[in-house]
Amino acid sequence: MRTGELALERNDSGLTVVTISGEHDLSTAPNLRRRLDALLDQGSPVVVDLSPATFVDSSILGALLDGRRRFAERGVGFAVVHSEDGDAVDRVLQVTGLRSELPVHAEREEAFAKVSGDSGNSPP
Amino acid sequence: MSDGGFELTLPASAENVMVVRQAIAGLGEGLGLDSSRIADLKTVVTEACNNVVLHAYDDEPGPLQVTAEPGDGELEIRIADEGHGFRPRANEGDSSLGLGLPLIAALSDSFEISGGAGAGSRTTIRFGYAAPEFSENGRPAEVEKELAMAMTPGATVKPVIARVMGALAARAEFSVDRLADTVLLGDAVSSSGEGDFSDGRVGISIRDGEGTLDVRVGPLVEGAGERMLAEMDVPGAGSLRSLARTMEVTKGRTPEGEAAEFLEFEVDAKP
Repeated sequence: MRTGELALERNDSGLTVVTISGEHDLSTAPNLRRRLDALLDQGSPVVVDLSPATFVDSSILGALLDGRRRFAERGVGFAVVHSEDGDAVDRVLQVTGLRSELPVHAEREEAFAKVSGDSGNSPP
Repeated sequence: MSDGGFELTLPASAENVMVVRQAIAGLGEGLGLDSSRIADLKTVVTEACNNVVLHAYDDEPGPLQVTAEPGDGELEIRIADEGHGFRPRANEGDSSLGLGLPLIAALSDSFEISGGAGAGSRTTIRFGYAAPEFSENGRPAEVEKELAMAMTPGATVKPVIARVMGALAARAEFSVDRLADTVLLGDAVSSSGEGDFSDGRVGISIRDGEGTLDVRVGPLVEGAGERMLAEMDVPGAGSLRSLARTMEVTKGRTPEGEAAEFLEFEVDAKP
């Protein structure tokens, strides 16, 4: 088991990729919320990549739902990536309906295009 | 405690939920569950523990007690606290709260929460070693099948049926007029007497279809279906029957296999 890790990487077009790996739950959700808040304050579009995550609970899903709402209110791009690979995270996204509700993109490139569209920029 | 199970008591904190999760995953592995079912088990137990951490003690220290007992084809998991029980809260600034219990419900075979104000709470989960079936849109098949209610006749029948039918119609995106029609039909069913139902209880099952509600009332004693149809006639104003797309008396069987009749009708979301 890997404990939850969270990595930030800003690309050339000013977009930040937040990569979530390992297990994430109530104990790591506040950190994710703080990071997303800080990026929103900077006006940085965000792609959250859940692909390396091995477990997420409802508190993480809640942080993503809040993130989507708050970024949208400010007109800043926000997208989530996770492949449909049938793992534990995929299953939770399916069961809660969040794969279509958030929505969750299967590829980073799709998410980049979505975020650029939300932020009124051309794709990177 | 049965062979192979465990009892675990630890301080209720966000950091400790991971400990319980790993314990239950280990048990799942030991029982030979496949990896996706172990993932479900971790989710179910995590969400039940989250409820304790978030709601039981108001940031004061207190124990989180977890018992897991393997049985024949299923695990019984009890997650308990000694806190003040679940309390409604207006807004915790956390939109995840609505997801925890539905996740438990979707991924377990059954669960119940007991306890009351000041008495602590206990969540008991029955978790089958095989996964429940899911329909294609990811919702558990059971949710879509139908809702079945059986009520002791009395004053509570009418408001219960009205609220349930209203809620199902609203969820199925009925127009306001159609929603009102649906509730009217529910009222008509509610006014039937105890003697109309073959087991003495008001039985109604409702299937949430694509843009329709399919309602089945019964099991009824012979002749009760026709009587209900006749009672839907409103002097000078036609019949409530016209509010339904179809309405008919059908022959069927009770769950015990006895012959019975039913009143069945379909209501459309749009006129």
